[in-house]
Amino acid sequence: MTVFKYFLKIAIKNRWIIIMYVTIFFVMTVLNSNDAVKREESFVESKLNIGIIDNCNSELSNSLKDYLKDENNIVDTVEDEDYIKEQIFLEVADAVVIIPEDFDEKVIRREESVLVYKDDRKPQSIQIENQINKFLAFANITYENGNFALKDVAEALNESVEVHVLPSGEIEGSGINTWFKFYFNFTGYVTIALYIAVIGVVMSDFRDENIDSRRRISSKRFLEFNREIYLGQLTLASAVTITFIIASIIFMRENIWNVYFLKYVVNLIVFSFSILCLTFLINNITRNKHAITALSTVLSLGTSFISGVMVPQEILGDKVLAVAKFFPTYYFVRVNESMINSLSDIGFDIFMQLLFAVAFLLLGLIFSRKDLLVQ
Amino acid sequence: MRMIVKVKNVVKRYSEKIALDHFNMEVYEGEILGLLGPNGCGKTTAINCILSLLSFDKGEIEVFGKKMTPNSYDIKRQIGLVPQEVSVFENLTVRENIDYFCGLYVDDKNVRKRYVDEAIEFVDLKDYVKFYPKKLSGGLKRRLNIACGIVHKPKLIFMDEPTVAVDAQSRNFILEGIKRLNGESSTVVYTTHYLEEAEMLCSRIVIMDNGKDIVSGTTEELKAMITTSEKIVVSFVSIEDSVASLMKGIPHVIDIERNGEDFIIKFENGINNLSNLLSFITEHNLTYTKLYSKLPTLNDVFLELTGKELRD
Ligand SMILES: Nc1ncnc2c1ncn2[C@@H]1O[C@H](COP(=O)(O)OP(=O)(O)OP(=O)(O)O)[C@@H](O)[C@H]1O
Ligand SMILES: [Mg+2]
Repeated sequence: MTVFKYFLKIAIKNRWIIIMYVTIFFVMTVLNSNDAVKREESFVESKLNIGIIDNCNSELSNSLKDYLKDENNIVDTVEDEDYIKEQIFLEVADAVVIIPEDFDEKVIRREESVLVYKDDRKPQSIQIENQINKFLAFANITYENGNFALKDVAEALNESVEVHVLPSGEIEGSGINTWFKFYFNFTGYVTIALYIAVIGVVMSDFRDENIDSRRRISSKRFLEFNREIYLGQLTLASAVTITFIIASIIFMRENIWNVYFLKYVVNLIVFSFSILCLTFLINNITRNKHAITALSTVLSLGTSFISGVMVPQEILGDKVLAVAKFFPTYYFVRVNESMINSLSDIGFDIFMQLLFAVAFLLLGLIFSRKDLLVQ
Repeated sequence: MRMIVKVKNVVKRYSEKIALDHFNMEVYEGEILGLLGPNGCGKTTAINCILSLLSFDKGEIEVFGKKMTPNSYDIKRQIGLVPQEVSVFENLTVRENIDYFCGLYVDDKNVRKRYVDEAIEFVDLKDYVKFYPKKLSGGLKRRLNIACGIVHKPKLIFMDEPTVAVDAQSRNFILEGIKRLNGESSTVVYTTHYLEEAEMLCSRIVIMDNGKDIVSGTTEELKAMITTSEKIVVSFVSIEDSVASLMKGIPHVIDIERNGEDFIIKFENGINNLSNLLSFITEHNLTYTKLYSKLPTLNDVFLELTGKELRD
């Protein structure tokens, strides 16, 4: 295992690259944490602007409307998807709630009963869903002999508003969600930069023509050598990625239970793997240290920017996003930004990242063959 | 003596340039073979072909009696290379470098530690084990380069111009080291374009030029092959051109060269060359300021066989 050992040794001798990126990263995270706390505070004080369209007009639906009116400011709206989206985009409304004709039956059958359009840029907009869910939960409890005890519901909600809603979990949850999105998006950026720079620089040592000649005339089998090299890469990459995951837990502690933490972890691991494959490709294209360092900076900053790490994807133009789709960061960011109910919801974006991993590997193999032909 | 390397009619082309042109060479167990030739004649290419670092277009190469291929791991285990360029990790210390390259051959930790210690001892880098290569002088770097190539105790060692750009002290140290290795029963193939080194170190010499092996044999055998057997250098207080031209008439003289005041007179094999010249001097009443005789060198051999000087 000499090759493996010295792979890691040389990586550690390049620790200044790691230290630099990790420092930048954690400074950014600490700054952002303060920011997230501020956002939470401002959120507690503000009411949302919402539009409501009631196609049912039952006792139950009127009761829900009354409740929402108490908690929010109401704006006029029209039942037209494009119109609603524009209202939200222009920030006229933070959310629009559409109550269907068969609202009562759906509630009784405990099906998805209302349609909510909301502004995903604003973490507060999640509050509207919380309010609706709370109302429906109470309504269902009081349902008996074909009737809802709507008075009891209203009372229960009034109390719970005072006791529950303002200070606790769900509200905080959205600020926390923003923190996690930022943290993991930014981890993606640092992962690209670190993997390419550190693994690339170490590999350029091992692939130096003179040094590689010594390996080639030695009795070390090529397969065995590669096995140790790739084990070294995997160890190094895992150490970096696991550090970021653990650091997120240390930062947020029990808050990880308020978000879909597994989503972030799975996404980061898949993304890291695809970047490891990209590193493999780059190492088969060049062993020039300057080129590698340059690629590390350009690819990490460039793709992070166009994929929505620095600014939200919504703000980027369609053309930019169209370009971003040719790199796994786009799909990685999409998963971080999404609100999901189960891991299967991110299947497509995970699949795309894996597809890129395979493509990078294949291209890398093609280039490595070319290298052999030259010799 | 057992033949352990056999190179037969090897042709190697780099696109247009023919680097090896039906090259032949044999190495026998226990010898120090000098591969001698001017810059760019194909020495490094020959070694790289023998070691399967380079593919070649035609010919055969056998090492330890078997065909050499990139997958001949059991043969490679017994071979060491000290490449022409210092080939070490800039990011590893002297000791780490030697340990890494040893690890490509030796898995056992304890054996490796012993080998590394011995290699450090051998090249006398004990005081520098924690140094990084960029902190080493040129001569010390060369020693590190050697240590990395011989640490696994190979039976057959290729050394590609290990003394180029090395100060006299380190150079002697390296040459002594090669003799010690050979004494420890390693066979050494040593490439150089320094004639004196080859002459003093090698038990047998292959002279090559333009990718071809010109001739091979011991120094004595090579010198016996050429007609010039002695050179006498003489310079006079004054001499008339007409008298100078008469010197050609002295028995066994092949050629006379004039180099400023010095006349370099080449003789073919004969017993009385010096006394014949002295008689000529008395006969013509000449006064000489210096006069000495030189035996032919490998340079003369090279000159006579290729028509070119082999000089640094
Ligand atoms: N990769 C290459 N591509 C093209 N030509 C090459 C290559 N390597 C060597 N040559 C040419 O092949 C010839 C032999 O080169 P080689 O390095 O074997 O010579 P050498 O005897 O080792 O010289 P030196 O004493 O300078 O080390 C030279 O003319 C050189 O220019
Ligand atoms: Mg050479």
